Amino acid sequence: MDAATLLATFSTRFLGIFIEAVSFLLLGTLISGLLEAFVTNDDIVKLVPRNPILATLAGSFLGFLFPVCECGVVPVTRRLYQKGLPVSVGITFLLAAPVMNPIVLASTYAAFGFGPILVGRYVISWVTAVTIGLLFSFQNHPQRVLNPASLSLIGATVGGGSAEAVVIPQARMALFPGLKTAIKLAGEEFFEMGRYLIIGSLLAALMQTFISKEAISALASNPVNSVLVMAGLAFVMSLCSTVDAFLALSFARTFTTGSILTFLTFGPMVDIKTTSMYMGMFRRRTVFYLVVLPFLISVLIGIALNLNVKF
Amino acid sequence: MRTRKWIQASILLFMGLYFLDNMLSGKINLYINSDRFAWLSWIGTALFLLLGVMSVIDLIREKPDTETDQHDHEGHDHAAHDHGHDHSHEQAPSWFKLILVGIPLMVGLLVPAKPLGAAAVSNGGISTSFSSAQNSPTSFNIAPADRTVLDWVRAFNESSDVKQFAGQTADVTGFVYRDIRFDGKPQLMVARFVISCCVADASAIGVIVQTADAAKWPQDGWVHVTGKFTTQTIDGRDTPVVLADSITPATQPEHPYLYP
Repeated sequence: MDAATLLATFSTRFLGIFIEAVSFLLLGTLISGLLEAFVTNDDIVKLVPRNPILATLAGSFLGFLFPVCECGVVPVTRRLYQKGLPVSVGITFLLAAPVMNPIVLASTYAAFGFGPILVGRYVISWVTAVTIGLLFSFQNHPQRVLNPASLSLIGATVGGGSAEAVVIPQARMALFPGLKTAIKLAGEEFFEMGRYLIIGSLLAALMQTFISKEAISALASNPVNSVLVMAGLAFVMSLCSTVDAFLALSFARTFTTGSILTFLTFGPMVDIKTTSMYMGMFRRRTVFYLVVLPFLISVLIGIALNLNVKF
Repeated sequence: MRTRKWIQASILLFMGLYFLDNMLSGKINLYINSDRFAWLSWIGTALFLLLGVMSVIDLIREKPDTETDQHDHEGHDHAAHDHGHDHSHEQAPSWFKLILVGIPLMVGLLVPAKPLGAAAVSNGGISTSFSSAQNSPTSFNIAPADRTVLDWVRAFNESSDVKQFAGQTADVTGFVYRDIRFDGKPQLMVARFVISCCVADASAIGVIVQTADAAKWPQDGWVHVTGKFTTQTIDGRDTPVVLADSITPATQPEHPYLYP
């Protein structure tokens, strides 16, 4: 097999993943931009009930109304805290929104159809986000979880209590300036997020072209190792959740179903990109929990599924 | 900095044009299941063009301001500004970012576009059976002469006894695939890739064809085969094989991949 054929195969695989995924990426970034321009903090807060448990549940579904890429999740969460929402609601939103949104639903469905992966991704993500969010409700003072920089941004006083915004209140933009801003933001986010998609696609295409199934089949079919490897890949690849389904698809025939689910549930919550964003907003202890808890839950569920369920 | 901004805008614009070319020329069929997802790629095309055009317009408009501002801006604190006009202070992406995001464009434009073929089979293997989802159409409703490689392979999978296919007419198009299993035998496979979403999930399937001149057909070449099915025992199992009446070279179909 000559170099030209290998190159052609590699490039077709690479472009195939990229072309399908990038339209979803663009849609996601455009909607993020529209939200940035047209939705104010008050709009979001109005939808959250008073009762803490209900509020946490509401936080988990907010992503369907305000679909932001996992990149956009951190600023939105900060806005929620600005408005005095309890910590648990913000945490749940932070962890759930990257998956609980219509674009991710569409792209996961496009890649896998209606089946165990689609259903599993949503059930596991939701349960994980709500569980961790409720755990944080024991720490419901922003001071305990947010770092000093964020606290000053939201103007929380040392004695606890409600947060008063010191940031200039965001006003809803008029239609044309808003659209222009949204488009501009989408363009910038494309370069920011497109990098990871391209690197991920190159990696996946390289694997599919140069590594034969037999070579990794021992690793990929092992119920435990496959899960650990996919969790690691998800962390390192830092893909936008709107497109990671297509990368997962390229691994789906070699790796166990449990490990694919771990990739699709752990990745949106924790990766290199989001961890560094968390560091910019939360205290180190909180970041530690935000990384370790999703890891433990998604890995354990992945392994448990591999060992107990015949897909 | 302006150079980088222009490159940024150009990448967006040219991605749009690249997508447009893919859609209009049919090259998109090499990458995705266009029956299901052509609309998605049209959206991508439109969005890229929109982003590209808006970026270019912004850059052209910016020109008069920035030329005079360049001197003022070098090396002093931006916070001290108080201008009456509006211009962007955004940083252009770094060269590294630009090159990285330009990679798909470079690959797409420089590497000749070819569908997955025999070379791609070696990684995942090729199958003579195909199990499809519950609600996909059954192949038995299609007349034998109209069945594609996928229809045949699906039918074999659905039947309890493959001997029932003996005598049926085969009329299929696919690429030639032979590996060490076929060395010395007057046989080759007529193969296709099946994709449900996009190339990421491509899997190879094929039908075995018996012909005396099997060795002369080049690997990966497209062929059109007609013949009748018979049943042979291969590896201890009943396997349908086409006794070829004719094999002719074929052109690569507009949709090289089959959709389940």
